[in-house]
Amino acid sequence: MAILEVRNLRKSFGTVKAVQDISFTVEAGEVFTIIGPNGAGKTTTLEMIEGLVHPDGGSISFEGLSWAKDEDAIKMMIGVQPQSEAMFDLLTPKENLELFASFYDRPMSTIEILEMVNLMDHRNKKVKLLSGGQRQRLAIGLAMIGDPQMLFLDEPTTGLDPQARRNIWDIVLRLKEMGKTTILTTHYMEEAEKLSDRVCIVDQGRVITLDTPAALISRLTKEREVRLSFIDSEAAAAEVEEYAKDQASVVRAARTGRDLQLWTVRPEDTLHSLFGYTKEQGYRVDQVSIREMSLEDVFISYTGKEWRD
Amino acid sequence: MRGSSQLKMMFLTQLRMTFREKQAWFWGIFFPVILMVIFMVIFSGGSEEEFSAKIVFVEQQTDASSSMLAEQLKSIPVFELAEEQSVTRDVAETMVKDGDVAAAIVLPRADESEPITLIVNKENEQNATSMTVMGVLNQVVMQANLAAAGAVPAYRVDMVSVSSGSDDLKYQDFLLTGMIALSIAQGGLFGMVDMVEMRRKGLLKRLRMTPAKMGLFGFTDMLMRLVFSVFQIILLSLIGVYGFGATLHIDFISLVVVFLFGVLSFNAIGYFFSSFSKTTEAYMGVANITSFLMMFLSGVFFPIESMPGWLQPVSNALPLTYFVDGLRDGMVYASGLMNGSFWLGIGVLILWGGIAFALGSWLYRNNRSIAAR
Repeated sequence: MAILEVRNLRKSFGTVKAVQDISFTVEAGEVFTIIGPNGAGKTTTLEMIEGLVHPDGGSISFEGLSWAKDEDAIKMMIGVQPQSEAMFDLLTPKENLELFASFYDRPMSTIEILEMVNLMDHRNKKVKLLSGGQRQRLAIGLAMIGDPQMLFLDEPTTGLDPQARRNIWDIVLRLKEMGKTTILTTHYMEEAEKLSDRVCIVDQGRVITLDTPAALISRLTKEREVRLSFIDSEAAAAEVEEYAKDQASVVRAARTGRDLQLWTVRPEDTLHSLFGYTKEQGYRVDQVSIREMSLEDVFISYTGKEWRD
Repeated sequence: MRGSSQLKMMFLTQLRMTFREKQAWFWGIFFPVILMVIFMVIFSGGSEEEFSAKIVFVEQQTDASSSMLAEQLKSIPVFELAEEQSVTRDVAETMVKDGDVAAAIVLPRADESEPITLIVNKENEQNATSMTVMGVLNQVVMQANLAAAGAVPAYRVDMVSVSSGSDDLKYQDFLLTGMIALSIAQGGLFGMVDMVEMRRKGLLKRLRMTPAKMGLFGFTDMLMRLVFSVFQIILLSLIGVYGFGATLHIDFISLVVVFLFGVLSFNAIGYFFSSFSKTTEAYMGVANITSFLMMFLSGVFFPIESMPGWLQPVSNALPLTYFVDGLRDGMVYASGLMNGSFWLGIGVLILWGGIAFALGSWLYRNNRSIAAR
């Protein structure tokens, strides 16, 4: 069942068309991730859905409720963690949560939230003394305090160290167990892959593609780049290049001196047969690498453009 | 039900934010107290001492009439004799030149009709002490002449000081009420800086994403400011009354009226500043300029009447002028409610507050898309 329906959203700021045409549907209970480069229109899209920015055109519907008619009801059913850490710095996490709890009809218990975002030990410390990761967890706690059906997490892990990022991932997965619907934005492909049920890629104010991470990645990983570098001679590299080109899995090959680059749709098979051949010939391989897929690749493959940051 | 617990939690938040903010303590409490103590010490500390001038006299020839004049001079309390006995004219002139005495009085010889000569230092010819000595001397001579002629003076001058309220208005009272008005005004002018900070950090935007009643949040903010200002009034009054002997005659109703409208008006001006200041630095700049202008032009430290005439119309346009006057009506003169100028002052405060609030709200609404980003 769709909890949120967004149709043909448009928004311009002066001459800048921030959002040109965005439509999608979010199902109850899923983690829906929006990715895109800076300036793609992610934040503007979220702010329109959150009721902060009035769209120039299009419609937003929360189970039939609209901002124009049901503002209070919508605010009760959503919880927002904005990109900027907006909270009361001179108050403690507990006091911040208690204040926000007073805004809602049926808030969750402050203790429950503190435990869930792992801030029990710091509950009486002033917010300004907390670390970036702790503040970010509190921001998520503040989004959850009203026991909303739907949560908006805008780049919750940007600027955090790997451990702090994993803590946030645990919270998002926990929310999913609780049956909450989450709309997430992120810069990290790995995060989108790990957490989301579906990923929506946005660029220049439009939806480029929308699918499950598995489907997107399988399309992305059609070709992987493999690099090999040989110790012995250029001749060895040239010979292996010729051999590789005969492999069915290899799409393309290129060589610079003793360094060989291959694009293959099945990297494991390709490497297996290549190493069989080099062992047979007695060639020694110095370095082997398979390049990780990144958000950059997603954009290159879907938009044909270089990454703009 | 949610409304009342929301009100309670919001007020508690305002209370915590204010009392945990060191800046609020410094500018709201410490600064006005220090400023008041300094002004009190400088301007009212010396007023307890009586005026006196050190003099010597020169009897050129001792006879009955010169002795009588000398005795009379000795009996005048403002004259302090450096030498109990007469000195020579040369010695007297040297003492005047060296600044050992303020003046030397040369008594005339009885047989020659020469005047009484007053020797003062050229550098001090026009100063207050010389003029006072001259004035006193003239009086003495006139009395002596009248006595000699056996006449009764036909006219006398008697000085009685009056004020529009109680009789004992002292500079301490004037300064104390001025300082209270100034600190409340500054609380409003500077206090709205947290609006800029909350907007910059996205806190206002964050609250708008929740079902929180923003009107209620603004209301608790004002309530907090009123509580803080009450605290300021009490603290400054206690220091003024017990530390410097100020005397207050409080008319509670007019004090409450002027206090409420004053706090609202200056906070509205602060709110207006916050509506166009993008950073806290910009806000503080505007607030500082305004506060400085008003501090010296609104009769906080000195009466407006003592300022140059061309400046007075400026003073008469400033809200602090009316707030100070109103507070003095309510705290010192115990007059006000029955007084037309009191209500005129309240009217001016309302006008300032109303215009500032309307402009501020308009700017907030129109810049909303910018402020929200």
